[in-house]
Amino acid sequence: MTTAWACDSRVVIVAGKGGVGSSTVAAALAVLAARDGADVLLVAVDGKPGLGPLLGGEPLNRNEQTLRSITGAGRVRARTIPPAQAFSDYLDLKGVGNIVRRAASAASLDLVAAATPGLEHLLVLGKIKELERTRAADLIVVDAPPAGNAAPFLRSASGLRGAVANGPIRDQADEVVAMLADRSRTRALLVTLPEETPVNEVIELAFDLEEDLGVALAPMVINCCWPDRSALAMSATSAARASGVSISIGDRRALDSSNRFGAARLSVQREQLERLAAALPIASIQLPRLPTTRLEPADVDLLADALAAAPVRSGERPVAAR
Amino acid sequence: MTVATEVRAGELAALIAGAEVIVTCGPGGVGKTTTAAALGLAAARAGRRVVVVTIDPARRLADALGIEESTDEPHRVVGATKGAPRRGGAFSALMLDAERTFDRLVIDRAGDRADAILANPVYRSIAGSLGGAQEYMAIERLHELVAGSEFDLVVVDTPPSRHAIDVLEAPDRLVRFLSHPVYRALTLPGRSFARVTNAATTAFVWTVKRLAGPSIVEDTVEFFRSISGMEAGLRQRAAEVATVLRSERTAFVLVSSPRAEAIDESAFMAGALAAGGFRLGAVVVNLVHPLIDELAMSTDEPPDSSPLADQVAYHRELRSLALAERDEIEALTAAAGDVVVVEVPLLDHDVHDIAALTEIGTLLGLG
Repeated sequence: MTTAWACDSRVVIVAGKGGVGSSTVAAALAVLAARDGADVLLVAVDGKPGLGPLLGGEPLNRNEQTLRSITGAGRVRARTIPPAQAFSDYLDLKGVGNIVRRAASAASLDLVAAATPGLEHLLVLGKIKELERTRAADLIVVDAPPAGNAAPFLRSASGLRGAVANGPIRDQADEVVAMLADRSRTRALLVTLPEETPVNEVIELAFDLEEDLGVALAPMVINCCWPDRSALAMSATSAARASGVSISIGDRRALDSSNRFGAARLSVQREQLERLAAALPIASIQLPRLPTTRLEPADVDLLADALAAAPVRSGERPVAAR
Repeated sequence: MTVATEVRAGELAALIAGAEVIVTCGPGGVGKTTTAAALGLAAARAGRRVVVVTIDPARRLADALGIEESTDEPHRVVGATKGAPRRGGAFSALMLDAERTFDRLVIDRAGDRADAILANPVYRSIAGSLGGAQEYMAIERLHELVAGSEFDLVVVDTPPSRHAIDVLEAPDRLVRFLSHPVYRALTLPGRSFARVTNAATTAFVWTVKRLAGPSIVEDTVEFFRSISGMEAGLRQRAAEVATVLRSERTAFVLVSSPRAEAIDESAFMAGALAAGGFRLGAVVVNLVHPLIDELAMSTDEPPDSSPLADQVAYHRELRSLALAERDEIEALTAAAGDVVVVEVPLLDHDVHDIAALTEIGTLLGLG
């Protein structure tokens, strides 16, 4: 099974609204690429420490830790990039003196950031760009901020280009914009659920990223899809008859309840998948809903398996061509 | 419904009948706005005059509430209380536009300097994004609505937040920002600014100049200077809002879902509310899968890949998920202490009209 799409670029930015499981997908993607031999760096932008335990390690912090080493193949390292650290690293890089740097980074990041909106985001993207430029890993998987922040996060660079005419910020913004728009360097992997609001939001996000920012899209992941069981449309009685088995009245009632619920949810799911396919004709992958609330490290491997095995449903054409 | 849960559901009914302010908070993607709207609608149908304040609701829910984009004024939802058990109620909705509310605040408070502030490029770019500005504006709006006499109950739907209770800390944060030594130095009148040798200020100006060019510095200094003087008003209102939010008039409703991340975040928020002196009135857990009776399957297992095997497999997946969800809810119930926890089942359809919102009210035990 080819998973070449996962390593088509050097940076994959995983983006989706809160609650759609984008961190989980980022973790599964990292594991998948490591199995294919890649040295992967997983970056949690919004300081989500939970990604570490999800992969069986310690909560993430700014110090890199190795979460998986796959014998004969690659590995997954992970870290966060707090804006304050990106800021101070950046000042370092620009050769700013110690005293000024201490005053600037400790007391004033809030103020500097308020005066130049998007600066925090740009600094974090700039740090990712540095990691990419110095080939710190074969593949950098970025877990982008949730809750509607993915678009402003990625737009920070082009936004600042409008406000800042020259100087180091402008250079940084130019370089980030160039990285984002280069499909051999960056792709965005959108994550959604087969439900109404997440579908609406991902459509909006896709157009934002591809048309406004020129970010190439990796196949979109539709998370938490129940397997399409057509038998749920039958009554338990007919199913039992068709299967040549007899069942008790209690079991029949219990099955009819779960059948009714399942069939109704599947019809919502089908409707939303069709709507998504019509509005956003790009390649997509469906990941199964795991029957658990709390994902364990082993579940991430299951999802990586599913990511590798799932057929990539090809879309008709890229969004921008519409 | 058992007697015990009926009694507890009565607590939620009492809450929407008595509170003057309800603040819904919780992680993203759990149906928080829907719950806020359903609680408000139920209160209106019980005879109260209610306004629901939301920020950036899902499009179709906004349509259902009749909210035009960015009107920034309460909008009466026609027909919402039709056939309600009690008369006299009214249901309005307001979609908050942080930038517009900020503009209005500037116009109200800044007098003849308002035009200059509104035209300042730094103001334009931060009005919608200044740390906590959106949350702060929700609070400002809340202050106006609570102080006015048009509504008996104001339901405030807070933006999803990873950082617990941003909205409640926003007034403090804004005041802290305005009290920052650098800000103070920047707002000194006229040329005296140039004589300030405070290291932090110098570093700030130097940093911004070096990073983003001199024009940004001029605009920034000008902006900070022009909003100085609004500060006293902001502080005072922030303090008033903080008092209202901590009083008996206000109840917080924590909205969650049975997914582990949401449960963990909600448990954390319950603790943060208590630590901040805010009264948690109820917990609502949305999107709960139904727990269906276990199969006895005393007869043979159905043959592989038969329709019955498919049905049994789904039944087992659904049941194991539903059981795991009950464990999560139990953990959250323990974290919430004595507070009522109400479960709302995952519906087999999406919620985007008044009828569905009324149905949610019924599921919440609110008739």
